[in-house]
Formats: sequence, C-alpha cells, structure tokens
Amino acid sequence: MEDSVSQETATSNRDRGGHAGHSEHLHKVIHHAAHLLPAQGPITVFIHHNTLHAFEDLPFSEAVKKGANIFGCQPYLTEDRYREALARGRIRFDTLQVVLQRDLGSTAFEPIPCFGTRQELRLSMLEYPLRTGPTEELIWYVSETNALKKVRAEASSAMRSKLIAETHRWVLRDLRSGYDPTLNGSVRRTKATRPVSESLSELLDRFGESTIEDWTDDDWEGFALQALWRVCCDGVRNLPPYTSPPEPPLRHRDLLLEATGEDSDAPVHDLLIRFCAAFLDQGLAHWALPGRERGFYQAFCSLYRQPGPPPERWMRGLGIELARLQDERVGPVESIEESLRILGVSEVEWGEYISSTFLALRGWGGMIHQLEMRGDRAAMPVAEGSLAEFLAVRLILDRFSLAHAAKEVLNYTGPLSELRIAACVGVGSPWPPSVEQRAFVVFQLAQLRALSPDNFHKLTAPEWELLVSEIERFSALERRRIFHLAYEQRFTTQTLDAISLHAKTTAGRPATPRFQLVCCLDEREESFRRHLEELAPSVETFGAAGFYSIAMYYRGAADANFVPLCPFVIRPQHWVTEEVGDAFGDSDRRRKFSRRALGTASYGFHVGTRSFALGALLTGAVGVLASVPLVARILFPRLTAQTRSLFGRIVQTPPATRLHLERLEEPAGQVGGHIGFSVDEMTALGERLLRDMGLTSGFSRLLILLGHGSNSLNNPHDSAHNCGACGGGEGGPNARAMAQILNDKRVREGLDARGLHIPGDTLVVGGYHNTCNETVTFHDLDRIPGSHLADFESARRAIEIVCSRNAHERCRRFMSAPLTLSYSGAREHVEERSEDLAQTRPEFGHATNAITIVGRREWSRGLFLDRRAFLTSYDPTLDDENVSILTRILQAVFPVCAGISLEYYFSHVDNTGFGCGTKLPHNIAALLGVMDGAASDLRTGLPWQMVEIHEPMRSLFVIETTPEKMTGIMDKNAGIGRLCRNGWIQLALIDPITKDVSQYRDGTFERYRPQSDFIPKAASSVDWYRGWRDHLEFAEIES
Amino acid sequence: MPETPVFLTVLGMIVLACPVLMTIILGVPSLLGLKLREERATALVFMTTVVGLLASLAILGSMLIKDLQYVPIELGNWVVIEGPENHNLYHFSVKLVFDRLSVPFVILSFVLSGTVGAFASKYMHQERGFNRFFTLYAIFVLGMVVTSLAGTIETLFTGWELVGLSSALLVAFFQDRPAPARNALWVWVIYRFSDAALILAAVAMHHLRGEGDFAKMLGTGFWPEEYSSIEPRQALVVGFLLLFAAMGKSALVPFSGWLPRAMEGPTPSSAVFYGALSVHLGAFLLLRVSPLIDRSPTLSAAIVIVGSLTALFAYLAGSVQTDIKSALCFASLSQVGIIVTEIGFGLRYIALIHILGHATLRTLQFVRAPTLLHDYHTLENAIGKHLPHAGAPMGRLGPRRQAVWLYRFAMERGYLDSALKAYIVGPFLRFFRHCDALERRWTDYLAGGVSRESDQVKPHFGTIEELT
Repeated sequence: MEDSVSQETATSNRDRGGHAGHSEHLHKVIHHAAHLLPAQGPITVFIHHNTLHAFEDLPFSEAVKKGANIFGCQPYLTEDRYREALARGRIRFDTLQVVLQRDLGSTAFEPIPCFGTRQELRLSMLEYPLRTGPTEELIWYVSETNALKKVRAEASSAMRSKLIAETHRWVLRDLRSGYDPTLNGSVRRTKATRPVSESLSELLDRFGESTIEDWTDDDWEGFALQALWRVCCDGVRNLPPYTSPPEPPLRHRDLLLEATGEDSDAPVHDLLIRFCAAFLDQGLAHWALPGRERGFYQAFCSLYRQPGPPPERWMRGLGIELARLQDERVGPVESIEESLRILGVSEVEWGEYISSTFLALRGWGGMIHQLEMRGDRAAMPVAEGSLAEFLAVRLILDRFSLAHAAKEVLNYTGPLSELRIAACVGVGSPWPPSVEQRAFVVFQLAQLRALSPDNFHKLTAPEWELLVSEIERFSALERRRIFHLAYEQRFTTQTLDAISLHAKTTAGRPATPRFQLVCCLDEREESFRRHLEELAPSVETFGAAGFYSIAMYYRGAADANFVPLCPFVIRPQHWVTEEVGDAFGDSDRRRKFSRRALGTASYGFHVGTRSFALGALLTGAVGVLASVPLVARILFPRLTAQTRSLFGRIVQTPPATRLHLERLEEPAGQVGGHIGFSVDEMTALGERLLRDMGLTSGFSRLLILLGHGSNSLNNPHDSAHNCGACGGGEGGPNARAMAQILNDKRVREGLDARGLHIPGDTLVVGGYHNTCNETVTFHDLDRIPGSHLADFESARRAIEIVCSRNAHERCRRFMSAPLTLSYSGAREHVEERSEDLAQTRPEFGHATNAITIVGRREWSRGLFLDRRAFLTSYDPTLDDENVSILTRILQAVFPVCAGISLEYYFSHVDNTGFGCGTKLPHNIAALLGVMDGAASDLRTGLPWQMVEIHEPMRSLFVIETTPEKMTGIMDKNAGIGRLCRNGWIQLALIDPITKDVSQYRDGTFERYRPQSDFIPKAASSVDWYRGWRDHLEFAEIES
Repeated sequence: MPETPVFLTVLGMIVLACPVLMTIILGVPSLLGLKLREERATALVFMTTVVGLLASLAILGSMLIKDLQYVPIELGNWVVIEGPENHNLYHFSVKLVFDRLSVPFVILSFVLSGTVGAFASKYMHQERGFNRFFTLYAIFVLGMVVTSLAGTIETLFTGWELVGLSSALLVAFFQDRPAPARNALWVWVIYRFSDAALILAAVAMHHLRGEGDFAKMLGTGFWPEEYSSIEPRQALVVGFLLLFAAMGKSALVPFSGWLPRAMEGPTPSSAVFYGALSVHLGAFLLLRVSPLIDRSPTLSAAIVIVGSLTALFAYLAGSVQTDIKSALCFASLSQVGIIVTEIGFGLRYIALIHILGHATLRTLQFVRAPTLLHDYHTLENAIGKHLPHAGAPMGRLGPRRQAVWLYRFAMERGYLDSALKAYIVGPFLRFFRHCDALERRWTDYLAGGVSRESDQVKPHFGTIEELT
C-alpha cells in the first residue's frame, strides 16, 4: 500500500502547478549549491581533480580566499610553516622582497610613519611572527609575563640596546619634568612637541623619576616597554575599525553554537551518517535498507515514522511529522520549502543557506550527488533527485534538533523562524578588535624594529590612522599569500634556471638507439627513465599519457567485470578482453573452476564469521589457526607474500593469453565479435600515439611500451596510486594492446599509406611497471621472434637493473628505509612495503610533483629532476601550423597534471579540511569511501601519509612552443585558458629553436633571464642523491 | 598445597616483570618529557613481549611435564590490618596464579598484543602520538597480564583498572577531534560503573570470607574442577556484582553501545583491544569465578539470559552495519554473547577454546579491515561476478512493517544508548546541575554579586590562522 502512496506523491508533485515556479527555482538553487560538494566518486576508482574546481573561473588567490571562507579551510600553509621555510632557506629573504615589490607595484615606496615605506613595514611583518589573541589573553599576557619587562627574544641585543638608548635619550631630553640645575630648583617643563600624557607621567612616577640617574639597564628596558605599550594603547584608542565585520553565520546551528557552545548538528549527523551509509551501501551490510528503491526520502519516512521505543529526546514528534508528510503526500521539494519557511529562511537566502547546509555533511552529500550523476561507476547507483531528498530529510531533522537545543540551552520555545534573532543576542563578536589587540601588534613591531616610544609619541591622529590601517590591511591571510608566492618563486627560479642552462647543451636524439622505451608521463617515471638513460646512454625514452590513446573497457582473463581504462573525461566506446589460448583451454577451465570454488568458500567464510551460529562454529573450531597467517603476515610480510603467490600460481590463469583486440562485427560491443577495434581504428590510434610522441622516424629494433599501476595492501586509497591517465586503473593492458596494434602488419601498411613508416625489423613489446614494488612484467613474450630474442634479453636485463636503482632512489624518501641500503636491499624493501599490512606509506604516489614538461626529451635528458616532473614527449618540429598535436596533448595533460597538482596542494595545506586526515583511524564505509573512526562524514581528498612530503605549489608547466601558438591554444580552449590566465598553474615556454625560456605573467610572456650561470654536476644520479632525505636541487648528470 | 618450585617462581616473575619493565621504560621518560626513538621503543616492545611469551610457554611446558595444575606465586600482603587474636581483619595480598585458565589467557595476550605491537610499530610510524600510543599499549599489556594471572580479587582489580584506563585513553587517541573525546568519555563512564561493581564484589568477598583469594573463596580443587562451598545466597550477591562488572567490560546488553564507539582509535588499538582482548575480559572474569556461578542456578540463568540477549542483539545490529569496523565489532560482540552463554551453562572448556579462537581470528580480521576493498575485488574476480548480497535472513522479509521496525531497532543499536541517556545520564546530569545552581546561589549571595567571572569569558578555540 505504501508503494502506491509514494508513487502518487511523486505524480502529485508534478501536478501541482501553483508551486511550479517556486520549486523550479528551488531545484535550480539545489543544483547550483551541489557544485560546491566534493567531486570525489567511489574510492575504488580514485580520480585526481582540482579540489576547488567550482572556483576555477576566479584568479587563484581570490578563489582560495573564497574557498577558504565557504569551506572553512586553509588556503595556504600556516604562517609558521612559511617562516620555518624562511629560516631554513627554502624561502629566501631577497625573494620575499622581490615578490612583495612586484605585488605592491608603484605603491611599494609610499611612506608609512615610523616604518619608512610600505614595503619595509610589510617585510617586518613577514619576517617575525606577530602574536595575537583574545583580549582577555592579551591582558593576562602583558600583566603576568615578561612582556613588559624584556624585549622580545627575536630582537637582537643590538636592537635591544638601541631601543633602550633611544628611550633613555627621549626621557632625559624631552619627557622628563626634571630639575634643571641651572635654574636653581625651579621646575621647567620640557620642550616636548606634545604634552606628556597622563599615563606616561604616571609611569615616570612609578619608576621613580627622582632616582632616574640610578636606573639600571633592566629598569630602562622595563620602562621603555611599558612606555611603548602605553603609547601604543593611547594611539590606537579612538581609531575606527579598518576591517569589515565578519558576516554573521547564516545557519541557525552556527549561531547557536557560537552563542552557547551547543552543536545541534551532532545528533542530526549521528543519525544521518548511519542512514546515508545504509542508503548508499554497495554491499557491506548483510541486511540492506528496506525500501531503498523508493528513494532516500520515502525510505527515511517509512523507517522513522514508526512509533519506536524510547527515542532520543530531540526526536520526539518526528514520527508524527514524518507520518504526516507521507500521508499528506508532501514531496521532498515541497518539504524543503516548508522547512525553509518554518526556519524563517527568506528566498534571497536560499542559495547560501542550502549550500552551507550541504557543506555541513559534505562528504556524504557529495557521494549521493556523484552516484546520481555517474551511476555507471557504482554497482548500486541511486536515483536522480536523491540529493534533494537528502536535503529534505536533513532540514526536517535540523528543525527538531534546533528546537530541542534551543529549549535546552537558551530556554527558547518560540518559533524557529525567530531563533536566529534570539541566538544573536548571545554571540560575542570578535569584531571590532579591542584596543589591546590593535596596540599589541604595533607594540611587537616596534620592538622588532627597535623603535623607541618617542617615535610613536610624536604621531598625530591621522598618522596613527595611516599606520594602523596599513598594518591591519596586511592581514595574516595577505601575509601568507605573499609567503606562498615567494615559496613558489624560489622553486620556479631554480627550475627555469636549470632548464635554461641545460636545454642549450642538448645533444639531439641518439643516432642508433639500442632500444626505445615509452613510459607514462607520470612524474614517478622520471627517475625510471633517467636511470635507464644513465645505464644505457644509447637508449631513447619517451613519455605519453599512459592510456596510450586507447580508450577501452577492459576485462582480464581472471577479472569479473569490465573496467574503463582511459582518462575520466572519456567514456570508452570499445571493449577489449583477455583470452586464454586454445592450447591452455582445459587447464584454464580447471583453474577457473578452482578459483571460483576457493573464492566462494572464502567469501562464505568471511560472511560466516560475522554471522551467528556459523560464526560460533568457525571461530571456536578454526579460529586459533588464524594465528598462523596473523603472525606470518605481520612479522614476515615479504616471505608470506612469496609463499602465497607460490600457492596462488596453482589457480592463476595460464601464462599464455591473448588480447581480443580485433573487431569482426559491427558495432562495437561487449560480447563475441563485437569486442575490439577495427583495423582502421587501430591504425588511427597507432598513428596518433606515434605522432604525439614525435616518434615518426629513427625507430630502433625494439620499442617497449610500459603501462603502470600500483598494488598495495591495507590501503583504501590504493587506486590513487594507479595511472591517472587510465582513470585510476592499471595501465598494463593499454601498453600491451598498443604493442599488439603496432606489430600488426596491416596497421603498418596503413601507417605507411599515411606517411609513417615503421621499419620491418622493429618489434614492439608491451609491459607493465608496478610503481610500488618496482617490478616490470612483459606481455606476449611468446610472440617475440628469434631474431629479436637477444635484443629483448639485453633490454630486459637493463630494465631489471633500472628497477633496482629506481627503488633505491625512492627509498631515500622513506624514513623507515636506512640510507645505507644497497640496490638489491632497496628492491627488497619496496617489495616488502607493497605486501605489508601495517604499511601506511606503500609508496608516495604523486607527492612532490611540481613541474609539467611538454617537449622533446633531448633538452631535459641528463637533468636530475628529482621525480618532480611530468614528462610528456612532443616534437614541435613535426606539428602543423595550427599546433593540432600540441592542442590535443595539452587537452589531456592540463586536466590530469593540474588536477593532480592541485589536489595535492589542497590536501597538503589543509589536510583535515580539504584532505582526509591521517589514515590511522580510517574506516571503510559502504564500500565507497572512508570515515574517521566509528562514524564521521565521508572523508574526501588525500590522506596525510600520501602528501606529507609534498611541497604545496602550483605546477610549473614548461611547454616547448612559441608564445603566439600557446596564446592561440589558450584562446581556443576555455579550460586551458582558464587554468593559465587565472593562475591555477604557472606557465613557461621554451622556444623550439633558440631554447630561450619565457614566463607567462600578468597576461603576457616575458623573456626569462636566468639568475645563475651554472648547474651543479654529478657523475650519476646516485652520487647526487645518496645520503639525502629531503628535496634536492637540480643537477646535470654527466654520462 | 604443593610448594611452588623456585624456577617456576622465577619464570612467573619474568612473565610479570616484562610488561612492568616495558611500562616503566616507555612511561617514565614520557613523564619527564623525553621521547624514546621509534626504533628503540619498537625493540623494547619486541624484546619484552618475546621474553614474556617464552617464559609463559616455559611455564606451560613444565606444568604439563610435571603435571602441575596450580602454580601460585605469592607476592605477600601489601596491606595488613590486624584484628584481635592475631586474626587479620583485612589484608591486601598480591598473588599470581598459573592454572589451566590463566596460562592460555596470558599466552593469548602476549601473542596478540605482541603481533599487534609489531603491526603498530610500522602503522604508527612518524605519527605524533607514537610514544603515547606505545606507553598506553604497555599499560594495557600489563593490565592484561595482571588480570589473567590474578589470584586474588584485589590483584585482578588492579589489572582490570589498568586495562580500562589505557583503553579509554586509546579511544581518545586523536585528541584534536571532538568525536574521539566524546566517545572515550562514554567508554570511560561505562567502565567506571563496571569497576564500581567489581570493587563492591571485592568488598563483599572480604566480608564473606575475610579475604579476596579466589582459591579460598571458590573452594577446593583446581580450575576448572573447583567446587565452591559458598552458600548460594552469598554466591548470588557476589555473583551478581561480578556479572555487572563483566557486563560493562564485555559490552553485554544493555551496555553494548560503547563497543562501536571505541573504534575511534588507530586501527591496531581497535583490533587488539576491543575486537580481541579486552572485550573478552568480562567473560574471563566469569570463567574465573565459575564455581561460584555453579552454586546459584538463578545466577546461571541470569548469565545465560544476558549472554544470549547480547548475542541476538549484536547479530541483529551487526547485520545492518555499513562500515567495516562496526560490522566487525558487532560480530565480535555476538560471539562474546555466545561465550557468556556457554559459561552460564557451565561449559568452561568450550568457552575458553571459543575465546582463544575468536580473539585470534578477529584480530586478523581487524588488522585487515582497511584492505577490505582489495579483498572484495579479489573475491569478485575469483567468483567471476559481483559479489552476491550476503543476505541476512531478515532481509528476505522485505519492506513489511515488522521488518522495517526490526531494521530500525538494529540501526538504532537497540535504542540502548538512547535509553541509558534518557533514564540514567539525564537524571544524573539534572541532579548535579541542580546542585551547581544551588552552589552558585550561595556563592553569589556570599560574594554579594556575580561570583563566577569566568562565566563572562567565552571559550576561545584558538583561531590558529585567520581566514580573513
């Protein structure tokens, strides 16, 4: 019966024309507010994206400020972190000066009383930490600590002496109403420019003016500080505020929290988190939410309208209300309207009120939104409109919780629409700043610049106004912005210096490469390629987006389902499967059967231990046996993994499999002959990849393509380590497929016809690079002809060595790996990491990424880039006038690399706000994401363990093209233009011919002039990095 | 009673000394503000656990070889109040007992906490609270060992308190978020109630027998063949207090609400403490006093009822949990309920074996909890399709009214916490708020004005970095 009710409700909603205008507006508001929700989908397919994507049409500094306000998260690192960087030389003081001057432009040298120029004042404010606090704390601080007795510790002793001496002079000359011996005892007022204030003369009296000659140095210090404090307090006393008052919060809950400390969201979230998880659950619970298919709102109403046993006090009456809504067929949108009316939210406030309500539980709201938009990415998607239903339920709960909290803590029982007014009474605003707060900043600055009280004593009221307004306008946020610019600037200078100098020494492509290797553009492959080039100078390497231009749904021989392997923005139109060759058919069927039997049994066991009687039997009878895997896996992870894989081999797919790549029937589909690509399509894909990389001539006998991915245990964020260009999947099949395509005779003929000749003796081999345990596996080895076996074997040996060296370089960043590890020791270390249940940092993923290079490898080869650069190969000499190749490369590179860089940026600067906090208490919920501990909002972003070694900076793009061409691309591609012009990335170009570097700044490209004239040199990578844990400078590797 | 051989005494002392040493070496520098280096702390934990484990295995071995069933180690009376005629009015004796119950339990504690210690040394690497974690961990291990080996109720209480204290602090490990602090407080309060019951039981035992020694209290014979001579009525009083203590510690109905809340700490602590070891302590206590239970059928019945209610409730609640840690902890609880039921029926060996097996298996499942997605994926591939929805039988009821009611009951965790809040916490709070108001009236009256200035100052949450 209830089913029919809900259906009627849905129809009746549509029929009620009178409300249509209102609800349409409401729909729009909800839709708009939803943009602010995190865009992270199910965690099993982790896609990196700009956390502040919603603000990309604003300049970076404005966007982060706005984002900070809306999300309540930090836009930059803390001032302390920047100052610490300043102290250890990561930010240089002169860089800070340059950045500040550029930021201020012509206003830098405007005079400011006491401090010289505006730039000088701001520099002082940047150089030393300025403390502040609530008024009570400051009063306590000045009266109970040494604040008025000792000069701040940061001021040097010379500064201190200067302050004392000047005060001394001032008091004796100007201030003192002392006795002039020549005037025979008559009192003479000093020729002070201003009358001495009462507080100062009181101070003089207190210190004992008559004994002034006997004052010790300490007395003078105390006097100077006390006088300074009093002068500052007097000076700022009657100044108007220069900052605008903070906007009062919109939500009732925030006001109530500020006024009383009572959080009315706590009980609502407690319930809502549980219900959202139950509604979205992809199969973790053994008992699914009844009525889930009827939608969020109806399921909730049916569940909570029951007359239950003792409910929470705040929920009294909820059942009756929900019954009313269901029985009167009030739909979710109408209910939202009703709730907003009851809460007294006027229509103009809707947008902001709804978005801040969404953001209160952003993780779960965002996941509902993602699952209703991209249902193809989850096993159990949710119906469209679920987000609105979520909002409806939430507002109903908010009402009940608010009413309860208001009654409990405010004794307020009036209508909720007036609760905000009632709560406002109790809110103590931190604005305007108190006299003490304002004076304290000036007081500190004066000490740090050794400005004695008389300087301030002399100031007139307008001068005070100018000074204080100047100080207060350079707020903490502004200071951090400047710090951040300097932080980036230093790195940019180092990078562009290194590239400018190194690029000019380029040797060109190797003439007869032993073999050629193509890797993903991923910055983790930078060291891999570098080590290979060092080991075998005659090898040539390339970088391309790791899906190798093959967008497909792929299913391996042992996989259950198709997974998309291509960038997130593409929806594949083709399906590819891996199949077992006929020769192994029987054995495969046997293995498949045993796999299935084992799988079913272990799933049964897993479920059984959570059940009742079976659980008792299982835990009682065989529980003790669990101690063997428990102890073994934790104490000997690597050995256990080896043993497991030994047994695993029994049921693995046979080694010889084939990709079903060629389509025999139209159209493309998931089964039989519809699987795969046509020969023409394959030819086009092959051509595209080769032309993109600029590999159209000079083929060696062996061309190796490596896809990459990562595999680790106990890591819900596993997929974030995989190939970004494969949409968070493992890119091995793409490389394998492309190799198979390029080896195809018919494809080669097709390519010939298109003017791209691959020599007959060139063999292409696909492989897979596991970036966690540092292994490379090759596919289709049985197809290597005898003529190429020797070539392949020697290449494989080289790659094996490179794996160890790469592992060695990676290990320097792992604090738990000794710096003395050997190559093979390092290899074992990373293997163990990937198999260790207790390991929270199996690898560092994209952490430390900072540069994106698009251009020929020749000019970046031999430069130690410290695994910080995405390297995409592109040859401008092969591109057409419209730079169509570069355009399509950048269309993929910009969203992927900028997305990764910005996600790491935000997850690092505010790990609890934008990121998902530490991994340690993470708890997988609904098979969709992680919560903190027992119950919390769904946490999006990256965990601290993944980003801790990252330096938050906007990625520096270095593209090999000319300013005109780049401007053309920026004009024609809105997305790229937005990222460049609004400063979400930093952009530099390197000229294809002259190798001169130009930098994009304020809308124009300026020639970059290197600030140094040499790059350090090292004999090999290991010589350069050995013994270092931290980020390293660039160096030329002589090989 | 046979004399305990010297070498067994020495081994027994080693078993106890290991966790004591670990606690002191980790704890004392923390108090002084020094921090051990990670590697040193790890090595220390490893050494002491291994030595402790070997010593307890050696004791097990020699007990088997020499066919000893009961090895007491007296550590003397720590407090003695002499009564008339040289009769001890009160004495507080510390005594360790190695018997068929305590030896398996102490070995289990060493194996599980040792493994989890090794796990945590990597898992907690570079965490700010590394030292704090291991200090609390050491206290926990010490508490477990003392509780397992306790020969008198006072000794047991000491260990019981250490376990409670360290558990609550570990729940609140992430102090910078409000939820862990709130949930830890919940855990702590429930623990205090059960502690109060235990101490009352101790007092009652002293009153009845003049001392707290289990051996004398529970009568002749060795575990599990002891036979108590205590009167059923006395047994009922003491037994109920002990049952109450066990209910709190093992999260039996109606105190079950704290167990899922305890999942706030880092994964290893949830694993070993609430999933595996400390949740079984209540059952252990009941096992320890099982002869007493035998004396009173009423008590046995009560235990059976509490145990089976808990098992049923936890099964129901567990089947609707949507996050892996809650699902596992309700699964744990369900088994603990069954174990308690077994004890109520007098099946001591079965209960002991059940505890050992369950604790080990659940620890493995807990430490593997974050790898769930990976496992599901592997299983999907092996089975060759999306995993079948593991239907609990209730799921087949569909959206019928009773089913929906039951689902809500499960989802609200049996309304246990709401009931405690409404009927226990509420009145309690109201009473003390009333007292506070009275006090304020008096102080205001005496001060002749507003007497609490601090009320005027708003709490300051320390805006570390302003956003304007």
